[in-house]
Amino acid sequence: MEQENFSPQESLQLIQSMITKTRRDIGDNSKHFLLWGWATFIACTAQFILKNIYGYPKHYLVWLIIIPASIISVYMGIKEGKKRDATTYIGESMKYLWMGMGISYFVLSFILSRMGWQTNVFPFFILLYGLGTFISGKLLQFKPLVFGGLSAFALAIGSTFFSYDYQMLFGAGAILISYIIPAYMLQRKNRSTTK
Amino acid sequence: MNEAENKMTEAESLKLINEMIGKAKRSYITTGAASIVWGILIIFCSLLTWYQFYTNHFFDFDVWLLVFLAVIPQIYFSIKEKQKKKFVSHDERTMTYLWTTFGICIFVLSFYNSKFGSNEHSSTSLFMLMYGIPTFITGGVFKFKPMIFGGLICWVLSIASMYTDIAVDMLFMAACGLFAWLIPGIILWRRYKKQQTC
Repeated sequence: MEQENFSPQESLQLIQSMITKTRRDIGDNSKHFLLWGWATFIACTAQFILKNIYGYPKHYLVWLIIIPASIISVYMGIKEGKKRDATTYIGESMKYLWMGMGISYFVLSFILSRMGWQTNVFPFFILLYGLGTFISGKLLQFKPLVFGGLSAFALAIGSTFFSYDYQMLFGAGAILISYIIPAYMLQRKNRSTTK
Repeated sequence: MNEAENKMTEAESLKLINEMIGKAKRSYITTGAASIVWGILIIFCSLLTWYQFYTNHFFDFDVWLLVFLAVIPQIYFSIKEKQKKKFVSHDERTMTYLWTTFGICIFVLSFYNSKFGSNEHSSTSLFMLMYGIPTFITGGVFKFKPMIFGGLICWVLSIASMYTDIAVDMLFMAACGLFAWLIPGIILWRRYKKQQTC
C-alpha cells in the first residue's frame, strides 16, 4: 500500500476532519434531538393548554408521549448502531455524555415523582437540557448548541420567578432553543457540506 | 528544516494523535489532587452536617460555605497545570467545559434552593444527582472505571436518599464524596507518583 504523506498542518486537518465527521454523524442523528425535542415541546404546550385553558384535571397525562418516544428512539438507535462503520474519539465522548444525561433524566424523574409533580419541576429539567446541549455544542464546536445551552440556563433561572403553570412555557421555550432549532441548523449545515 | 523532515506518513500521523491522547491521559493523572481536595471537603461538610442533625446542636454558620474554599485550590491547581502543559487536548477542553457547566448547575441549584426555601431532604438528592453527571462523563471519556462507578454510586444514593431522613442523607453525601472523588483522586495521584519514579 502506498504511504500517504501528511504535513503537520495536514495532521491537524485530519483531527479537524474527525470533528467534522462526528458533527456529521450527530447531524445524521439529529433526528434523535428532533424526536425528543418535539415530543417534549408538544407535551409542555399541550399540558399548558389543557391545564390553563381547558382546566382538564389530568393534564399531566400528556407526558405519556415519552413512552412511544422512548421506544422509537431505542429502535432508531439500534438501527443506526448496525449501520455505523467507525466511531471517532469525539463520538465516544458524545456517547458517554448522552448516556450520562439519559440516566440523569431517569433519576431526576424518580426524585421528582417522590417530591410531587406539582412542585417546581421544570427548572430542573430545563437545567439538564442546558447541560447536555452546552457541552455537546462545545464538543462539536457548533455555536447554536452552545447558545441554546446558555439560553436554557437563563430560562432555568427565569422560570423560578413564575408559577408552575407558566414554567411549562419556559420548558417549551428551552427545548425549542436548545434542541429543536440547533438540530435543524445542524441538519442544514451537514446537507450543505455534503453537497 | 527541509520539507521532507516536515512530512509524516499516515501511520506516523496516527501515532502522533495517539501520543497526544496518551499525553492528555497522563496529564489528567496530575489533576488527581483537585479531585482529592474536592472529595475531602464534601466528606468533611457532610459529616459535620450529619453531626449537627445527630446531636441536634446546630452551628451559627453554614458549613457548606466551606465548599467555596475549594475553588481556591482548584484555581491554583489549574493554573499550575496550565503552566506545565505544552498543548491542550480536545479532551481536556471538554473536561473544562464539563466541570464549568457543573459549576453553573450547582450555582443554579443553590439559587433555586435559596429561592424556594428549605426542603433540604430533596435538595440533597438533587445535589447528589448533579455530582454523578460530570463524574460519570469524565470517567467515560478517559475510560477511567473508578469515576464511572463513582458517578453511578452518586445516582443510586440520590434515589436511595428519597427514602431516608436528612441525617442519613448526609452520610450518603459523604459516601458520594468518597466514591466519586476521593478514591478516584487517590488512584490518580498514586499513578502519577508511580509514573514520576519510573
